[in-house]
Amino acid sequence: MRPKDPQDTVQACSDIPLKSYYTAEDIPASHAERVNVAPGEAPYHRGFHPSGYRSKPWRIFQLSGFGKPEDENERIKFLLKNGETGFIMEHDRNTADHCYNVDHPEVLARREDVGLTGAVMQSVRDTAICLDGLPMDTSFGHAGGAVVQHAPFALAAYWAVAKKRGYDLSTLAGTGQSDFNLTYLGCVTKQQIPTDAGLRFNGDIIEFCTEHLPRWVPVSIAGYNGADTGLTPDQELGSLFANAVEYLDEIQLRGRIPLEVAARGCGGVSFRASIKIFEEACKMRAARLMWSDLLKERYDIKDERVANLRIHCVTAGSKMAYQQPMNNLVRGALMAVSAVLGGVQSLGVSGYDEALSIPSEHAHQMSVRIQQILMEETGLTDVTDPLGGSYYVETLTAQLVEKSWAFFEEIQTRGGYLACLDSGWLHAKAEENQHKEFMQTESGAANIVGVTMAHDDSSPFEIDGFIGTDDAFDVALERLKEVKRTRHEKGAMRALKDLERVCRGSDNIMPVMMDCLEAEATLGEVGDVYREVFGDWRTPIQC
Amino acid sequence: MKPKRILMAKTGLDGHWRGPTIVARALRDAGFEVIMIGMATTAEIVAAAIDEDVDLVGLNIGGHIDVALRAVDAVQSAAPDMPIFAGGTIPPHACKQLEAKGLEVFPPGSMLTDIVDSANRLTGLSTAP
Repeated sequence: MRPKDPQDTVQACSDIPLKSYYTAEDIPASHAERVNVAPGEAPYHRGFHPSGYRSKPWRIFQLSGFGKPEDENERIKFLLKNGETGFIMEHDRNTADHCYNVDHPEVLARREDVGLTGAVMQSVRDTAICLDGLPMDTSFGHAGGAVVQHAPFALAAYWAVAKKRGYDLSTLAGTGQSDFNLTYLGCVTKQQIPTDAGLRFNGDIIEFCTEHLPRWVPVSIAGYNGADTGLTPDQELGSLFANAVEYLDEIQLRGRIPLEVAARGCGGVSFRASIKIFEEACKMRAARLMWSDLLKERYDIKDERVANLRIHCVTAGSKMAYQQPMNNLVRGALMAVSAVLGGVQSLGVSGYDEALSIPSEHAHQMSVRIQQILMEETGLTDVTDPLGGSYYVETLTAQLVEKSWAFFEEIQTRGGYLACLDSGWLHAKAEENQHKEFMQTESGAANIVGVTMAHDDSSPFEIDGFIGTDDAFDVALERLKEVKRTRHEKGAMRALKDLERVCRGSDNIMPVMMDCLEAEATLGEVGDVYREVFGDWRTPIQC
Repeated sequence: MKPKRILMAKTGLDGHWRGPTIVARALRDAGFEVIMIGMATTAEIVAAAIDEDVDLVGLNIGGHIDVALRAVDAVQSAAPDMPIFAGGTIPPHACKQLEAKGLEVFPPGSMLTDIVDSANRLTGLSTAP
């Protein structure tokens, strides 16, 4: 928005004052010599490969899923047919995030909600339906398990299906998530294991992948889920690396696998690409630089392949307006531009119907089309780090790095990232920022087209939100009964007993979780073990 | 004068909290006492509305509209005079269903001042404009 007076202060989202133009003198001394490095040279803010998108296009990677596993399967196939180059399995929040089966009282009370935000997968049979005919061997798959307590089950289900199909796990490429920002900050579930148990799970997944799935990204920290909750770009960066050091310190403490390997695994992260194009592009550049410096300075890791931070971006869902939803096609495209200018490796564009529902088929198709247009028609991919050397962009990158490290340090002085989740300190930061953002819109200091200005009551582009299927709950309940009736009951019970024993001890939970899935233990039964052994996280917010 | 009391609850198991939190803050800033019970079932919402002796119920809706409608019916049946308002990612067809039951509805993009005005009206602190 244009300031009322050209002399008025204009601020970046990260609370950095912006000048009306920049010159070479503005670039901080600490960053000046780094401006002259080429892409492919440390500290990598300019990217890891001199040929950038010429040699490797970003992955078109859309969050997808709803209803029954076969509904999700159909949608994923639709996206792949339309040009998606990896696939993401989205699980039903009611069941998956809480590790409940559909017959849990909390789910029964909301049965119509089941399947609205992802497919219901309570046993390996459901996961097999969802993956039917999908190219697990050649495509990069996201197995779901975004929420920490769900991750071991979701990953083991995916891998169990792969094994059954005869694939060698060591050749599979894909990613997990088990994201603390989602679980404990952005989308706090009603019930979840405490953060220390979550850290143990993620350490176990990292170790298991190191041994059995070297091409798999074991866990992926999603800055997105901090940012869309209210953290500013510098806070998104600072908290993401504060999260990363929790994992790396844990792995170092255990001492079972080389830290370099773990660091390589932790280097597949995601960020939000929001609407302030230059600041967001600078954020991606700053992230690569910070990761390289962090590994070198804190862990003495200098291996270039380890320092290669791979970034997935999702455009900001919260920037998609409810009013005049077709405007969101433009917003999606521009946020995607910020990610591409920042040199990300993977991208998902939120649907134009984001403020109303999960994406309709058409909204999903348009998210892919936006990416294809950027990739094929615009010339954005011609030159690596096209913003490099801009006085403004280099200055803002350096300022972001400095502010982000300050936030990182503040988290450390408060006991670290986990402690800041447990205490609610990060939630309070996010809440404060979003309040400020709302008040700017309320006061007229910031505009949203179609919402605070340019109203149009006669828009011919009205949409009504995607609903999906209405039989997800009934089918899931039938399948739950069927799996319990027809599985080898003693085998399933034995695997669950083993899981409980391992959860109470300190062995890696993943081998026994594989046993549970292969013995057709169900999601809710696994969740019952967690609830018994680990108890519940004391949520620092009431939501 | 004793502040008016508003119960706020989420009908679904989805944990997005920025909407209800920002609304709760605006209502508190406007002088209301807000009782947040978070994700709650229909039975829990009705019980809290009565036990807490509130003047208004606010529902944050992020899931299927039938779940929310069930909560609305239960509150209206247990406390026929209790006003209810709702907000969240509610598509247009669902907004109409809620409005048909007498609710004021605030989808994304609503202004906090309008929500506070509505709370004032619904609790009798001001009359309709």
